[in-house]
Amino acid sequence: MKENKFENSMRYISIIILSLLMAFPFMWMLLSSIKTKEELWQFPPGFWPAIPQYHTFLEAWQSAPFGLYMFNSTFTALLIVLIQIINSALMAYAFTVLKFKGKKILFAIIMGTYMLPAAVTYVPSYITLSNMNMIDTYRGLIISNMVSVFGIFLIRQSFMQVRNEMVEAAQIDGAGHFRILVQIMMPICKSSFITLGLISFVGNYNNYLWPSLITKNPNLYMVTQGLRQFFIQGGAYGIKWPQVMAASSFTVLPLILIFFVCQKWFMKSIGDTGVKG
Amino acid sequence: MKPMLKKKNDSLVALVFILPALIPLLVFWVWPMIYSLYISFTDWDFMSPQFNYVGFRNYINLFMDKSFYQVLFNTFYFCIGSVIPTVSGGLFLALLLNKKMKGIGIFRTILFSPWVTPTVAVSIVWSWIFEPRVGLANYILSLFGITKLQWAQSSSLAMIVILIVTVWKGLGWAMIFYLEALQKTPVELYDACSIDGGSRWIKFKNITLPMISPTTFFLAIISTVNALQAYDQIQVITQGGPAGSTRTILYMYYQSAFESYNMGQATAVATVLVILTVILSIVQFSMSKKWVHYQ
Repeated sequence: MKENKFENSMRYISIIILSLLMAFPFMWMLLSSIKTKEELWQFPPGFWPAIPQYHTFLEAWQSAPFGLYMFNSTFTALLIVLIQIINSALMAYAFTVLKFKGKKILFAIIMGTYMLPAAVTYVPSYITLSNMNMIDTYRGLIISNMVSVFGIFLIRQSFMQVRNEMVEAAQIDGAGHFRILVQIMMPICKSSFITLGLISFVGNYNNYLWPSLITKNPNLYMVTQGLRQFFIQGGAYGIKWPQVMAASSFTVLPLILIFFVCQKWFMKSIGDTGVKG
Repeated sequence: MKPMLKKKNDSLVALVFILPALIPLLVFWVWPMIYSLYISFTDWDFMSPQFNYVGFRNYINLFMDKSFYQVLFNTFYFCIGSVIPTVSGGLFLALLLNKKMKGIGIFRTILFSPWVTPTVAVSIVWSWIFEPRVGLANYILSLFGITKLQWAQSSSLAMIVILIVTVWKGLGWAMIFYLEALQKTPVELYDACSIDGGSRWIKFKNITLPMISPTTFFLAIISTVNALQAYDQIQVITQGGPAGSTRTILYMYYQSAFESYNMGQATAVATVLVILTVILSIVQFSMSKKWVHYQ
């Protein structure tokens, strides 16, 4: 018993230390945004500023249209998530319940693209979008991101765990495929949909390379582009580091908040993805 | 049952279910892969409507170019340097947290939170931590009497900085998968081993590691594919420098496509990237037969 207690407290202490280490960059970011420029550039660096400069947040918020950027990112990410949930559910249903020709080939194609680096598609996709006159539009960004191979795979995995008898019973009762999908499959697999929604939202909100290639109009910037732009202008010669840190803070915090609220569902089903042979 | 009739009906319905995902998949995934291969045999410069077929010249140029080998080296360095610490560190964290204790959920959330945040934002924060003159990293070194390092501005250390950011961001992700796998390991196995007098290390080696090997395999593949595509942190912290020391194959692809507008060369690089991904996956798959145990 005694050994166990000792071991448990050791475990606790290491967990606390490691958590502090992992969270430290976030704390340092917040601390750096409330220091004065002089405090930031002194060595050795101090921990807490003499007078916390909370107004830096407001200054940073006003020095670039961050509200607009965050709206752009949130809006496009939400639409993409919605479309991905619908088309992944439909495709996964076809894979697990429907019988059709070419199912194996189709699945092989999808699994093949799952592992291939998305970046390879950027040059041709750029050309396709420009042929469709969709460079510098929300539509272009949304349409080019509207399918998630990971999503199809995740939802298929969870549909496969729904017992066959449930679908058959519903069919005998005369339910069509859409009804079975919406009223039986989707509610049972709710947590996988939440996982897909969160992962896809985070991925699209944080996406940088692809949006920066296809949107050049500053009014359409994603928050990542806006932040990077602000960083280049303000950070390069150390003039605006506190503001840059403040801007990073309000970019990061909404995601951490959403995650804290949703983590209960998230943690549970995420570990299930694709691990089963 | 009328199997004939049913099959016919299903195929039509299936089309309706498949198309909403299949159309964008074909337009933005499958077609670009083929088209990219096609462009790699041309000298297209993106602006002009005309171009010539140049056969394998883009590929030959690539492999004649000394700096391309540095890019390949950097890519492997980055893959190995990020995948191994991420996967093993994730396992270590999961082993630590795999116990019913008070408040464990909060720690799990904290450890996972870096993964949720935009790489662009946290890379900016890390570039401030590694600032050579007044950065926190050099302050910590000075506590141990080590002189200031140039970090991202030094060609020997820049990759280390990129790796630290990448591993820091990915650890929690690996941890979650391992936590799930550890919870699925049947307790009876450990009990049986305890009766036989197995020590902790033997239990870990003979039970835990084989039981979680499918997760390890999955994480190794996924992290490798992710590592091959790392871009944001490199773009924010080093832009591939100094002296090309953090220029990976994906960064080279970006530079030749969207900075030099040399589409032929860029798509040739893309082909090499795809081949690399396939080779690495095949290597991992064939190795996995030796150490991955499915139940």
